[in-house]
Amino acid sequence: MPDRKRSRVAPTTITMLQEAVISARDHSYALCIRGAGTLDGMGGRVTADLDIHMTHLKGIAAFEPGDLTIGTFAGTTLAELTAVLREHRLMAVLDAPHPQQATIGGTLAGGWLGPRRHRFGRPRDAVIGTTVVMADGRIASSGGMVVKNVTGYDLSKLYIGSFGTLGILARVNFKVQPIPARIRAISARLPEHTRERVIERMQGLSGQISAALLIDGFHREIDGEDGSDGRLVVLLETSEILLEQATRDTRGALGQAGVPEATIVDLGPMDHLQRIIDAGVATIGERSITYRVLGDADDHERRSSQLSADLSRTGLRMERIVDACNGDLFVRLSDRDSRSFAGKLADCDEIVHQHFPRAIVVACTSPIRDQLTIWGEHPAAIEKMHLLKSAFDPDHRLNPGRFLEATTNG
Amino acid sequence: MIQRLTDALGADSVLHAPEDLAVYRFDGYATGATPGVVVLPRTTRDICAVMKVAKEFGVPVVARGAGTGLCGGATPGLGAIVVSFARMNRILELDIARRRVRVQPGVVNLDLSTDVARHRLFYAPDPASQRSCTIGGNIGTNAGGPHCLAYGTTTSHVLGLEVVDEHGEVFTTHIDDIGYDLTGALVGGEGTLGMVSSAWLRLTRMPQSVRVWLVAFGDIDSASETVSAILAAGIVPTALEMMDATIISAVEAVYHAGYPTDAAAVLLIESAGFEEDMERCQTDIARIARDHGALSWHAASSQRERDALWLGRKSAAGAIGSMTPNYYIQDVTVPRTKLPHALRAVEEAVRANGLRVGNVFHAGDGNLHPLIMYDKRNAYEVAAVVEAGTQILTTAIALGGTISGEHGIGSEKRETLGLVYSSDDLDPMLRLRDVFNASGLLNPEKIFPSGARCAEVR
Repeated sequence: MPDRKRSRVAPTTITMLQEAVISARDHSYALCIRGAGTLDGMGGRVTADLDIHMTHLKGIAAFEPGDLTIGTFAGTTLAELTAVLREHRLMAVLDAPHPQQATIGGTLAGGWLGPRRHRFGRPRDAVIGTTVVMADGRIASSGGMVVKNVTGYDLSKLYIGSFGTLGILARVNFKVQPIPARIRAISARLPEHTRERVIERMQGLSGQISAALLIDGFHREIDGEDGSDGRLVVLLETSEILLEQATRDTRGALGQAGVPEATIVDLGPMDHLQRIIDAGVATIGERSITYRVLGDADDHERRSSQLSADLSRTGLRMERIVDACNGDLFVRLSDRDSRSFAGKLADCDEIVHQHFPRAIVVACTSPIRDQLTIWGEHPAAIEKMHLLKSAFDPDHRLNPGRFLEATTNG
Repeated sequence: MIQRLTDALGADSVLHAPEDLAVYRFDGYATGATPGVVVLPRTTRDICAVMKVAKEFGVPVVARGAGTGLCGGATPGLGAIVVSFARMNRILELDIARRRVRVQPGVVNLDLSTDVARHRLFYAPDPASQRSCTIGGNIGTNAGGPHCLAYGTTTSHVLGLEVVDEHGEVFTTHIDDIGYDLTGALVGGEGTLGMVSSAWLRLTRMPQSVRVWLVAFGDIDSASETVSAILAAGIVPTALEMMDATIISAVEAVYHAGYPTDAAAVLLIESAGFEEDMERCQTDIARIARDHGALSWHAASSQRERDALWLGRKSAAGAIGSMTPNYYIQDVTVPRTKLPHALRAVEEAVRANGLRVGNVFHAGDGNLHPLIMYDKRNAYEVAAVVEAGTQILTTAIALGGTISGEHGIGSEKRETLGLVYSSDDLDPMLRLRDVFNASGLLNPEKIFPSGARCAEVR
């Protein structure tokens, strides 16, 4: 075990992970549990003695395609999981940023929610079992490899979104589903004053479409070039028979919303969607901040317009992605240079939370980030969460600073 | 204590006469002790008052929906306070645009779907007891049902909860809350983590088209292999149910559902979605069934016929009552590809103990429900049914499955929880319980084993 200077270990087995945790416990070391760092923009700064890198604890632990279940070690990347499943025309819908790097454990611990969840379910609904290493070094499993299971409490739910502060995800079992036969994206430029109608129409179609994202800005990340503001990307995932009907319905709905033209993207539609997901956590050096708000798209559309007006005096640029089907809103604010940006950040953070009290920071590398309200307003049951933390990790050694300690501004 | 409860809730909300208390000893599986008092709250405030009185007097509290549970989860210990949610049965808010609804815990499952049907919405989890079971009970057990194959179990449909904790204080949760998913952790808590006083639920759009098919087979293996083949082909119907010859006979004798009585097994298959997809779905499933030796294929031609086929399935457990003085319904889940093996093992376990069994179950989920017939006046048969049930549990575990797919652990299976989980596995569950139930007053002696198997547990 290293001395008190911050060091790192990269276990390749659950037993090695357990040994590292027990050794850290015996030395009273605080631990920073890390995946690939793709969600590092979320949560507070961790103060720890030892980094545990989970990216080497990887691979498929169990897979029986006929059961529609798969067991994975937590350091497996989303891309690796996708590749294994795709061979059998199966999928697990996690829709997180940077799947080539992002680990399953990190994505789940970060509580990431993607744009297709309204149709295929949340990651929490696909997880049927977990194995974690607890703060005291115990290895504890819950759930299993079956799709219906009410044997004991559903602890997997607790670990998803816990930011590694209750236990360290070591293995995750998923139920998976067949890949739809056809996938197509439809993109369109949105004329002025059509956004609210587009959101309404897309919500009306949400039984047929997998995602509908309205985008302002993020040109470099999504399009690779400058382009018009106000655009829409719709994802269709259907049977062979329904594809053309769904395309006609989508175009028809857009036409009724005042969008005259829509382009079919059959080449790499999932890549197109992935670029938008990646954009949600993309930073512009130290001169940007991105907030995420969950809720209702039509409400967000109105309030983000008001936010834009309130921020106009600051000179900050505002970009946004609105998820019409789930109601998510991503707002990125940026400035020309990092010093000017840092000077405005505290004020703009306050303005954002006036409009969106529950906005959380998902991407920001500014040095003053830790002074912001990164977790938004407290959830109502924050006291229960504190009690859980104390019960699961009484010495507060798992990712100290990442979640509960950083919620004090709410 | 009764006086204090009466002061808080009113005399008409507090039952304590012996003849009133007697019926609250039971649920759908077990018989508990006579409670000390039964209370019928009307509001969240009433529940808080009850909990505070319980805490003051140190008396356990058992939450109760309709009492249809099948694991002894709602049976009281001697002198306990039973909290019946029968009067908290109102739909509080309906948000059609966002397809969500807030209900009190005593709302009956099917009543909710019936109420929102005019908006072409429904509440997807549909336990066989949905005509009487309540949303609160469904949340407590994370209830399933045939349509969970496509739509998921209760936990996937609960958006948020209002909960009265062990101190009589109210807290709320939502799945969009940052941090720990308390909503997910509380669903399936079997009344040991708090009492749900209202819940936001997700509603599902009615599909454009629904097809129901009944497929007959000459042997069980062919039917279960068909189930595996359908799923392996990438087809996930909304429901995929199996019944064996014993169940078919029982259902036909009572309900005349239209099942073929010469078949060794039938699959009841439902698919829902867009009309254009249904033809293809039917063609594919029919081909797979034919390839696996199906004897006959019947497509329901009307809503009335669909309802009749489903009524037979959902009434199967009741129908078997015409064939035996008593029956014991087991609930285990195995990986779906292990279904043929599991069914053979069930048959062997039951036969080896000199009993008969009928199988009606959620084949698509690998969730078996053997109904073992016995006579509880016969001590040998009582011992035999316990032995057969235990053998089925151990078989399910050996096949990579688990001891409860949807009924819960309750008092019935608490001593077998250790077959699935080690003491290290149970440790965080106990920590969770102790956060929400440090006093031990919330539904004690449920879920967790007693005695030497785990010294810490109550």
